[in-house]
Formats: sequence, structure tokens, C-alpha cells
Amino acid sequence: MTCEEFERVLPELGDGHTFEQEAHLRSCSACSDLVADLNAISQQARLLQDSEDPSPWVWNSIEVALRQEGLIRQPHLEHPRTPAPLLGWKLRWLVPAAAMFLVAFGVLKFQRGTGQPRVAEQQPPPVGVETAGLQPMAGEDLQLLKTVGERMPSMRAEYEANLQSVNAYIRDAEQSAHSDPNDEVAQQYLRNAYQQKAMVYEMALDRSLP
Amino acid sequence: MTDAKKQQGNKLSEAEAIERAKQGDAEAFEALYNLHKRRVYSLCLRMTANTAAAEDLTQEAFLQLFRKIGTFRGESAFSTWLHRMSVNVVLMQLRKKGLPLVSLEETMETEEDAPRKELGAEDSRLAGSVDRMQLQRSIAALPPGYRMIFLLHDVEGYEHNEIAEMVGCSIGNSKSQLHKARMKLREILKTSRAEKATKP
Repeated sequence: MTCEEFERVLPELGDGHTFEQEAHLRSCSACSDLVADLNAISQQARLLQDSEDPSPWVWNSIEVALRQEGLIRQPHLEHPRTPAPLLGWKLRWLVPAAAMFLVAFGVLKFQRGTGQPRVAEQQPPPVGVETAGLQPMAGEDLQLLKTVGERMPSMRAEYEANLQSVNAYIRDAEQSAHSDPNDEVAQQYLRNAYQQKAMVYEMALDRSLP
Repeated sequence: MTDAKKQQGNKLSEAEAIERAKQGDAEAFEALYNLHKRRVYSLCLRMTANTAAAEDLTQEAFLQLFRKIGTFRGESAFSTWLHRMSVNVVLMQLRKKGLPLVSLEETMETEEDAPRKELGAEDSRLAGSVDRMQLQRSIAALPPGYRMIFLLHDVEGYEHNEIAEMVGCSIGNSKSQLHKARMKLREILKTSRAEKATKP
């Protein structure tokens, strides 16, 4: 068997070789090196199967979508035998209220505010909350972060990042909607942005409730 | 979710998590995601060679899975079901973008893409010196058609008949593309090793 003949059958070869092929490999170092290299590449490749981690944003987006589609169902809450702390009950009311408020606020703000300059809409930043390169957060966002920080300190940074991101989304959406008030896609974009913020509130409060 | 809760979620067995996810349990969805995210994301990343696209596809694959989880009856392993779904999501996306899933036959192969034949060349042995990082970079440098078949066969472990069905090519074509992909990888790896050796 020649090297050319061996090379022709190589793509069809599995783990085993015929007697003739084995004989060629024993006598030809170039072909045996080639086979060894291809096997080494193949073996190393298997180790790549799960070598990369997605960013945490992927799960966040999946969770938001699952909630929007109603695939995640709220667990049936058992009534506590002892009275829940006052703060807990206040927060329970906040879950649907915050969600409804945010969506309604977003729609009203868009309907009324199309002619106003953007500078007038912005609230002065609360002292000490402006972070370098990031937009200041409104009072209700800070209140939410405070609640999350008290109940789930490890999650505070993640929710802060979520809020910054969704606020940036809202700002972009508002800008698009203001620049062309008749653009239905921009309006839908804005509604989606507020719904996403409502979802962040819902998730944060849902998880941080006692 | 707190760390303690997260640990609890990870301790859920896959079967328990599947049953609870069918009832809409958020922790069960997250547990299933945590069990399989690395493999699904790695697959998407290597197939697209683009982080943002890989994250979108990972999201899409898991969403499809969770939407259909109620129909999972356990005839096949859950991981097999999920990975097949992920591959289909990626292939669908690539088709939408009009990218070739398989390189056309040799007639369309460019001189640049075709692995060079270096039988008998000295210093031709790589075995034992293929490291993971080098291999990852080399795979990303493969032409898309070669990359697809190589990933499905050598990384994901699909057989040629399965690949032929998924990608829509003949079994012979799949074998031929795989061989060319491996040859091309060998060439890229050797070139990068030679470049490294010449650097002071």
C-alpha cells in the first residue's frame, strides 16, 4: 500500500485498520504520525464539550421570558401561623402595585410628555447615589435596592446592574418614542421597557419577601 | 437567590427538577439551566464563534426546552434531548442567516481552505502537544462548514448518520468534511507552533 492509497481510505477509517493498512503504518512514519496527530486532535476536542460559561445575563433574560410567558407559576403561599412582620406585608402589596404602577407610569409619561424637553423630565440625582459612568437612580429604585440589600445582600449588585440596564433601555425607548411619536414600533418598545422594569421589581420583591 | 438556596437548587436531582419544572417551579428551571448551561453555551459559542450570538442562542435553546418540557416523557436522556434541541436552534439560525452548514464538495473548495498535504514532511508530528487553548483558537479559524461537522462529531459526539440527518448532507459528505476539518486543524496547529518557535 502506498501513502496515496492510504490517504484515500483515511476518511473512511474508524478505530480499526485492515492488515494491509496496519502494515503500511508500521513501515511509514509520515502516515503513522498523521494518524497519531488526527487522533490527538480528536481526543482533545472532546474535552472542549463544556468549557465555557455563559454570562449571568443569559439566565436573567430566560427568567424574565419565562415569567412573561407564564411558564413560571407563583407558588401557593401558605399562611404563616405567626403574624408576618409588618414590613413583609407592606412589601407583599408592593409586588403587584409596583408592577402596575411602572407600566401605567410608562404609558402616561409617554402620552403626556412627547412635547417636553428631556432635561425637564429628569429628577435631580439623590446625594451619594451617582456612580461613575452610570445614570443616577430614582428614589423607588434605591428603595428596592435597599430592601434587596437587607434581605439578600449577595444579590444586591446583580439587581443594581439589572436596574441600570433596564433604565438605560427605558431611556433609549423614550428617546425613540419622542423623536417620532407616530412610530408604533417605538411605542411598543417603550411599553416593553416598562414591562421589563416591572418584571425586575416583581422578581426582586418576590424573592426578598419573608 | 441566596447561596444556600442556590446550593439547594443544585442538589435537586435532574429527574426531580424536570418534574417540578413541569409544574412551573422557578427553582427547578434554574437548576436545569445550571446543570446544562456550560455544554449548551459552549456548543453555541463554538458554532457561531461569536459571544453575543452564542448567548442569544443559549437563551433561545433553553426557552424552547422549557416551553416543551411538559412533553418530555423520558424515553431518551434529558441531556440528549436538550443538546439535540440546541443543535437544531443553532442550525436553524445559521440557515436563516444563509450561512453554509456544510462546505460544498471539493469543486467549490478554495485553495486557501483546502488542507495542504504534507505527507512525509519532517517535523510533522503534533501528538502530545495539542493544548486546549490552541485547539480552541484553531477551531474558530476553520471555515464554517468544516467547523460545523468537526464540532458535531468530535466535540459533541454525534455519529455521521445523525449529522447527515441534522445538517442535510450525505453520510459520505459528513465523513469527508470531518477528515478535511481535522487535516486543516493539524495544519493550523503546526503553523502556530512553528510561529511560536521562531519568536525570541
